[in-house]
Amino acid sequence: MSVKKIWFSFLLIGLLAVAVVASGCIGGETTTTTTTTTQIQEQITLKVIGPWSGAEFDAFREVIKAFEAEHPNIKIEYKTYRAEDLSTILPLQFESGDTPADIIFMWGWFIADMAKKGHVMELNEVINPDEYVPGILDTTTVDGKIYGAPFTAAAKPGFWYRKSFFEKHGLKPPETWDEFVALLEQIKQIPGIKAPIVSGDSVGWPISDVTEHFILTFGGAELQQKLINGEVKWQDPQVRSIFEERLVPLLNAGYFSDPIEWTSAVDLWWKGDYALYFMGTWLTGMVEDPTDLGLISLPGVKAMVLAPDYFMVPKYTTHPTEALELAKFLATEGQRIHVGTSSGKLATWKEVTIDDYWEPMKDVAKIVTNVESAPDLDDSVGGEWQKTFWDQLKLLWVQPDRLDDVLKTLDEKFPKE
Amino acid sequence: MKRPKSLVSLFFLLPALILMVPFVIYPVFKTIYLSFFFGDEFVGLENYKNVLLSSDIVNLERFPTNSPPWGALVHNVVWIVIHLPVTVFLGLGIALLLRKKEVKGSSIVKSIVFLGMVIPMIVGGLIIRFLFEEGAGVVPAIFKALGIERLAITWTAYPQTALFAAILGSIWIWTGFSMLMYSAGLASIPRDYYEAALIDGASRFQIFKNVTWPLLKPITIVIVAMTLLWDLKIFDIVYVATGGGPGGASMVLALQMWDYFARALNYNYAAVVAVLLTTLTIIPALWLIRRRE
Repeated sequence: MSVKKIWFSFLLIGLLAVAVVASGCIGGETTTTTTTTTQIQEQITLKVIGPWSGAEFDAFREVIKAFEAEHPNIKIEYKTYRAEDLSTILPLQFESGDTPADIIFMWGWFIADMAKKGHVMELNEVINPDEYVPGILDTTTVDGKIYGAPFTAAAKPGFWYRKSFFEKHGLKPPETWDEFVALLEQIKQIPGIKAPIVSGDSVGWPISDVTEHFILTFGGAELQQKLINGEVKWQDPQVRSIFEERLVPLLNAGYFSDPIEWTSAVDLWWKGDYALYFMGTWLTGMVEDPTDLGLISLPGVKAMVLAPDYFMVPKYTTHPTEALELAKFLATEGQRIHVGTSSGKLATWKEVTIDDYWEPMKDVAKIVTNVESAPDLDDSVGGEWQKTFWDQLKLLWVQPDRLDDVLKTLDEKFPKE
Repeated sequence: MKRPKSLVSLFFLLPALILMVPFVIYPVFKTIYLSFFFGDEFVGLENYKNVLLSSDIVNLERFPTNSPPWGALVHNVVWIVIHLPVTVFLGLGIALLLRKKEVKGSSIVKSIVFLGMVIPMIVGGLIIRFLFEEGAGVVPAIFKALGIERLAITWTAYPQTALFAAILGSIWIWTGFSMLMYSAGLASIPRDYYEAALIDGASRFQIFKNVTWPLLKPITIVIVAMTLLWDLKIFDIVYVATGGGPGGASMVLALQMWDYFARALNYNYAAVVAVLLTTLTIIPALWLIRRRE
């Protein structure tokens, strides 16, 4: 080997050594950089399924935005599914160990049912029951363990009217039952009025809300709870008397319209074909001018239905930690944000104050907080009976003389457990 | 060497058979299997007894003197009794009226009649719902104009009318099929037959009775069988238009099956109704196959 070649070899070895040392130094930096990049790339997408679309989703979107702002590494993907559709999809998916989303809004009774089958994560570490409206967690608690968290709730506080309509016709909200009936008669005489009260319909739930308001007014929350538990029959004299003496006479007198698709009913009521409309608080977000809204609860009302939107975290979520983080947010601060929008919803988390509410909902929130809250009857029983309840009430609405058949059917179809 | 013919046939049938086993044959047998269980417990025919004796399926206490509900099975039968002859003869009538090319606008009328067939059934159900709604629909408006106040109501809200609203709506949807089939059938009858009959001095009625109707028999069999199947499996328009109510007054078997499955989460009862429905549908299907042979 020549001297030149030896020197050239040394030069190459030297360059190689320098390169190795240099790469080691740079390598240290590279490692750091890689770590940083990995942290940024740890983006997680959580899927949420809820019932809202349109304006209702716009209100919920504010909640999503707030969570995403607090958690830059989590992105929320939202899909709209009705509970009716989910009830057919979820049992099969859960049985196969899969879930279509990480957080799913669903009926309380359904969540409890799925929890009993071992498909839902416990939320005891996320939810502090003391911070919620009393009894709100009963529906989704199984053997002392909480499986469904409440989000905001709709209240079914009474009959809505337009203040401008009442002023125009010299009508006054009633203080007693007799005044209420007299008001209906007075409204019936107004030219152009088709019926004093418009009856909302779709699958049947608006009519069930009216009925529950009568039960809560004349029987109280205790009776409602006993009906839910199956401890009191529908043919029980106390229940029958509410129908016979209060509801059926109003139906017979033609104070309620035939069932009309509930969103169409909003328009007809707003334009003055009808004067009163029994609907949940979300109605405030559906009318042109919520400041024109007045509310009449049945005189002497003892309790009101507070129907929360419950959600669960299926066991099959691929991001349990983040899903629980979102669950906690929805059950707490998310509620504060949601009631501040035009959602027309009420908080079930007691930390939310009246000041947090959207302006038109503040008065409603005050009314609701002053009465006892009760669970939604048909949502609590659920299953086939829920549909039967809706359907039988639709029948009663057009044929009040079939009361005996209706009450008998409700007893016969009630879950036997 | 020739391959046996049956083996060649089997080879070509194989892809279809491979797909049918998991997607058709297995679910059919699994459904039958489920119908004999309650939860995980084998109960024999108990589910069949409970379902068939339930007033959901047959409620003869009210039939026929009182208004529905008469039970889902009875409602399906009523559906067949009204819907089948009306669609068959209405379709035939329209096809006969519009068969001549010289009838101006016949293709437009045919398209309108056929419109019911091409719209999604969910939309059809919604249209039916609004057609019969007081204040919005044309049907109550007509009766109001005629001074028949008893029928100037929201038909889908009343048990006396809900089932019939759904059936009448279904007639509108299904007549397009009958009309189209008869139009095709009429076009295939050679004109010579009519000319010969006219030369023989046959009247219009005689021509219809002795030429047209017999030659339309194969078409009629197809229409009757298909309509029977439609009437038995009817679901979507009832689901949307009335939801089976009020008080179960317009409930049909397919919707009852859905209720057991999706509402009560009682898969065993749903399986019983599915088996019953399948058995009932097989009858017209077999009849059709035999008549065509």
